Amino acid sequence: MLEVKNLHAGYGIVPVITDVSLEAKPGEILLVGGENGAGKSTLMRAIAGFNKPTAGQVLLDGKPLQGMAPEAISQTGLRLVLDGHRVFPELSVYDNLRMGAAARRGDRAGFAAAVEEIYSVFPILKEKYKKYARDLSGGQQQMLALGQAFIAQPKVLLCDEPSMGLAQALLPQILAFLRKWATTGTAVVIVEQHLKVTAPYADRAMIIERGKVKFTCAASELEARLEQEEAAHAGAPA
Amino acid sequence: MLAEIAIIVVRGCAIGSIFALIAMSFNIVHGATGILNFAQGNMFVLGGFAAVFLANEVGVAWWILMLLVAGVLVAVIVTLQGWITLAPLRSSVEQDSWLISTVAVSTIIAAALMIWQGPFAYTVQGVVPSFRVFGVRTPGAYALAIGAMVFWYFALRIFLRRTFLGLAISALSQDFDAARAAGLPVRRLQLVAFAISGLMVGTAGYLVAPVISVASDAGLRYVLNGFVAAVVGGIGSNLGTLIGGPLVGIVGMLTAYRIGGAYQDLASLLLLVAILMLRPQGLFGRTSARRV
Amino acid sequence: MAMSDTMTASAERAPANRVSAGGAPTERTTAKPRFSSDLPQVWIGIFLIAVTGFGPSLVGNSYWVHTFQLVNIYIAASVFQNFLFVDAGQKSFGQGVLLGLGAYVTAIFFGLHGYPFMLAAAIGMGAAVAGGLLFAFPALRVQYFHLGFVTLSAAIVFPQLLMSLDRWTNGINGISVSMPELHHEWFLGLSPLTIIIAVWPMIALWIHYAIRRSKLGRDMRVAAISPEAARSLGIKPGVMRFIAFIIAAIGTGVCGVLYLPAVSFVSPQGFNVELSFVFFFAVVVGGRGQMLGPIIGIWIVFILPNIALAQLVEYRLLIYGLLTLAAVMLFPDGIVGSIERWRVKRGVTGRGEQAFRVDRFLDTLEGGKDSQPSQEIVVEVRGGTKKFGEVVAVDNVDLKVRKGEVHGLIGANGSGKTSLLNVLSGLSRLNAGSFAIKGRNATRMAADRIADLGIGRTFQTPRIFREFSLWDNLRIGIDARTGVGSADIGKLADALEAEFAEDSAELLSHGQRRLVEVMRAVLKEAEIIFFDEPAAGLSQSERANFARLVKFLSRRMGKTIILVEHDLDLVWDIADTITVMEQGRVVASGSPEQMAKDPAVQHMFVGGRRA
Repeated sequence: MLEVKNLHAGYGIVPVITDVSLEAKPGEILLVGGENGAGKSTLMRAIAGFNKPTAGQVLLDGKPLQGMAPEAISQTGLRLVLDGHRVFPELSVYDNLRMGAAARRGDRAGFAAAVEEIYSVFPILKEKYKKYARDLSGGQQQMLALGQAFIAQPKVLLCDEPSMGLAQALLPQILAFLRKWATTGTAVVIVEQHLKVTAPYADRAMIIERGKVKFTCAASELEARLEQEEAAHAGAPA
Repeated sequence: MLAEIAIIVVRGCAIGSIFALIAMSFNIVHGATGILNFAQGNMFVLGGFAAVFLANEVGVAWWILMLLVAGVLVAVIVTLQGWITLAPLRSSVEQDSWLISTVAVSTIIAAALMIWQGPFAYTVQGVVPSFRVFGVRTPGAYALAIGAMVFWYFALRIFLRRTFLGLAISALSQDFDAARAAGLPVRRLQLVAFAISGLMVGTAGYLVAPVISVASDAGLRYVLNGFVAAVVGGIGSNLGTLIGGPLVGIVGMLTAYRIGGAYQDLASLLLLVAILMLRPQGLFGRTSARRV
Repeated sequence: MAMSDTMTASAERAPANRVSAGGAPTERTTAKPRFSSDLPQVWIGIFLIAVTGFGPSLVGNSYWVHTFQLVNIYIAASVFQNFLFVDAGQKSFGQGVLLGLGAYVTAIFFGLHGYPFMLAAAIGMGAAVAGGLLFAFPALRVQYFHLGFVTLSAAIVFPQLLMSLDRWTNGINGISVSMPELHHEWFLGLSPLTIIIAVWPMIALWIHYAIRRSKLGRDMRVAAISPEAARSLGIKPGVMRFIAFIIAAIGTGVCGVLYLPAVSFVSPQGFNVELSFVFFFAVVVGGRGQMLGPIIGIWIVFILPNIALAQLVEYRLLIYGLLTLAAVMLFPDGIVGSIERWRVKRGVTGRGEQAFRVDRFLDTLEGGKDSQPSQEIVVEVRGGTKKFGEVVAVDNVDLKVRKGEVHGLIGANGSGKTSLLNVLSGLSRLNAGSFAIKGRNATRMAADRIADLGIGRTFQTPRIFREFSLWDNLRIGIDARTGVGSADIGKLADALEAEFAEDSAELLSHGQRRLVEVMRAVLKEAEIIFFDEPAAGLSQSERANFARLVKFLSRRMGKTIILVEHDLDLVWDIADTITVMEQGRVVASGSPEQMAKDPAVQHMFVGGRRA
C-alpha cells in the first residue's frame, strides 16, 4: 500500500505542491484530478522520485521511499507511467516490453506469461511486435507504455494522464484494462483530466488545486461534488 | 603513381579505422550519457603505452594476454573517469560541467604521462608480420586496425540490438526519464557504456601501437580526428563511422603525401568546418547537430 | 467565491513565509540589495588590476613589472573568454590561437619585415579576426560541443603551422623584436607599455560589463540559454554566436598585439594548446560569468604554478587540470561565483506571492478608443498537418483568426493545441498544408522572422532567466520590439522598472512566471499574441486580473490574441471566437454562444469543466 504524508515538492526552489497526503490501497483505483498547472504531474513525479520532495513522506508498505532515485523506487515496486505515451522509439515493441522486466529480473516464466497477457488485452501489440515503437500511433504507444509497466507487476501503479494525445474513444478500453489490473491486488493512481469518463472506473477521487488537496471523495460522488463546487463558484458560461 | 595511390588508400583506411573506433567509442558514451569524452584520445594513447611497457618484443600468447590486460586497464580508468564526470551532474543543473571535467581529465592524463615518460615518442615491435598490398609493404598493425574496426562494429551492433544490457543502454539514449521510470539502473548502465568505450580504445591503442607515435601529447590529435570521423558519419551512427573514419584517414594521408605531414591536422580541421557548414547532421545522422 | 478566496489566501501565506527572512515581504520602504553585483565587481577588478599593473613600477621591481604585464594581458584575454563562455554560451578552447595570431602576425610584419608597428599591429588584428571567423562561421550552423572541437582543433593545429610555415614564421627560432621606446620610463617609474597593458584589461572588463547591460548582451544571453525563446523574440541565435566570436576575437587580438612588446619574443611553443587551456580554466576556477572571475582565475591558475611554485613548473599542466577538475567537482560556481551565490542567498529575494502582480500597473494604461474585431483575417491555416513519427499532432487543420479578436483554442491535453502554436510561431514546420500571417505565407519562415512580423508568445513552461533581474526578464520584450513603442507601454515599462529592477526572478511561482511572460509579450507590443495556458497555476484574483489584461489588450489596444487555455470560464468570459480541437483536428468553431450549445463541446463542461 502507498501512503503519502504531507508531501511538499517543486522545481528548483519554487514550491509546486504543498502538504499533499494520499493513500492508495491494493485493488483500488484512486483518481487524481485538477487543472493543468495544479501540480498533478509534479505530485506523481515527486512520489516516483523524479523530483526530490522538500518535506513529507512517501511510504510503500511502511517503508520510506522519499529521497531515493526513481530507478530504485521503480525496483521496489512503485511504477510511474509518464504522460505523453512515452516509449523507447528506436526499440521494437517486443524489446520495449522486455525493458519492463528491468524491475523484475530473473523471472523468465512470469515474463512470458505477462507478455502473453498484454498481447491478449492489446492484440495490436502482438501484431506489431517486431515494429519500431516510433511507428505506432499515439494510442498504441500508450498501450505499449502500460504494457511495459504491467510486465514489471508493480505493487503500486501511478499513471499520469493516460488519455493524453489519444482518441477519446480509446480511453474506456485503457481504463477497463487498469480496472482489471487493479483487481489483481495492485494499487492504482490515475491522473486524468477526463473526470467524467474516468470516475466510473475509480473507487476514490481526489481533486488538487494550486498544489494542495482541495477535497477527496468516493469516485461515485465526484460529479455531484464538482457541480456543487461549480455552483459555489460564480459565473457560468454564457 | 599506382603505388602511391595504394599507399594512400591502404594506410588512410587503416589509420582511419582507428579514428572510426574512437568515433564509435564516442557514440556509445554519448548515447547513454549525452557526454562526449574529450579525454578519449588520451585513453587511446594509454593503450599504446600499455603495449610499450607490457608487450614490446614478446611472443604471441603473451601479446594476446596483454591485449586483454591493456583493454581492461583502460576500461577501468575510463569507468573511473565516467564516475567522476557523472558525479556533479547528479545534483547540479549545470549540464556543461562534463565538457570542463573531461577536458581537465585529458589535460591531467597528458601532463602525468609527460612527467612520467617525458616528451618522447615510443615505438613498439609488433607481433603481426608486415604484408604486401599492391606491392607495397604494409605493417601488420594496419590490418589489425581495420579488423578491430569491423569487429567492434558488429560486436556493438549485436550488443545494442540483442542483449538486454545493450538494449537498456539504447533505451537510455532514447528516453532517459522513461528508462528511469522503468527501473533501469541508469547510473550503472552509463558506467558500463564508459567501460565499453574504454575497452574499445584501450585495445585499439594497444593493437596499433607499432604504427603510431606513442607520446604523452598525442591524445589530442586522436580525439580530434575521432571526433571529425564521428561528425562526418553523423554523431550516434556507428555505420557512419565506417565511412567517416576511413575518409578522414585518407584525407590525412593525401595531405601528408601531397602537402606535408605537418598539415594533416589542418586538413582534418578544415574537413570538420566544411562538414559542419554543409551537412551538420553528418552522412547518417538522425538527429541534427543543429540545435536551434 | 468566498471559498476560493480563502483557498487563495491560505495558499499565498505559505510561500510568503518562506522568503520573509530575505527582507520586507510586502512593503518596500528600505532600499533593496542590488540584484547584480557586476558593477561592484568591475570596480574591484579595476582596482586589483591597477594595483598589480602600476604597483610594481612604483616600487621599482622590474621582475614583477614584467610578470604582471603578462598576467594582465592574460586577464584581458580571459575576460573575453568569460564573455564568450557565459554571455554567449560558447565553449571555446582556442582563444590562445587568436592571441597568438595577433602576436605572431604583428611580429612577422614588424620584426621581420620592418613595417611600422601600428601598421603591423593592424595586420595582426586582421589576422586575429580572420581566425575568429573560422570559429564564427560554424557557429552560425552548430553549437555546443561541436564548436568545442573546432576551437580545440585550431589550438592543436596553430603551433604546428607556426613550425611548418617557417618560411614566414622563422619556425622554431621564433621572432625577437625590440621596442625600447615603449619600455622607456615616463614618470614614477611607469613606462608607456606598463600603462597601456594595465589599462587594456580594465577596458576589457568595462566592455564586458557594457555589453552585458546592453540589448545585444541580453539577446545573446537569451539565445544562449533558451534558443526557442530567443527565436520567438526575433533573435537569431546563430548570428548572436557569430557576433560573440568576432567580439572575442577582436578583444583577444588586442591582447596578442600587446603581448609582443611585453615579451619581446614569439615562438611556436608560446602558443600551444596549453595557452588556450589557461584562459578556459581560469574562467572556470575563478567563476563562470563573474566579472572578477578571470582576474582571480588567472591569479590562481597562472601565477600559482608559474611563480609561487616555480620549482614545480614541470607540474603546471597537471596543476591546471587538477585545479579545474576540483573546481567543477567541489565549487561548480568557481571561487567568485561561490561567494556571489552566498551573497545572493542571504540578500536578494523575490517577495513571495506578491512578488509579481500586474493589476496595479494596468491602471497606468489608457489605451486607444474602443476597438472591435474586424473582418480582416490575420492568421489563416489551410490544411495544416504536423506529424511526429506516426503520431499526428495536428491533423488537416483549417483556422481563421480575425484581426483584433480573442480566439480561444480549447481541447483536451494532447489534442494538438500547443503543437499548432509551435507551428504558427515557426518553432516547428508543417508536414503538409500552409499558413499565412497578416496575408504573408509564413509556412516556411524561420521563427525569428515570424516574431518580427509582430507575433509574441508565451510558453507552457515559462522561459524565465534567473541570471536576469525580474525587470530584465521583462525588458527582453522591449528589446524584441520592431517598431517605435507607444507612450502607454513606455509608461508601463517605467513603472515596472522602478518596481522590479533589483528583484530576482528565481523565486517566482509558476503562475507568476507565466504572468512575466505575458507581460513580456505585452512589452514587445506584438500585434498578435499567442498565450499557451497563461492562467494555469494562477489564483482566482490573478485570473481576474489576467482577464482584464487580455480585454485591455484586445479592446483598447487592438491586439489579436490566440489563447490556449483550460479554464473554460476564463475562455468563455473573454473569447470572441472559440475553436475546439480533438485528436489534432478542429471539431467545432464559432462564437461562445454557439459553442456552448454545440454537442461536441457539451461533454467538456459537466465534471470535466474545472479540469
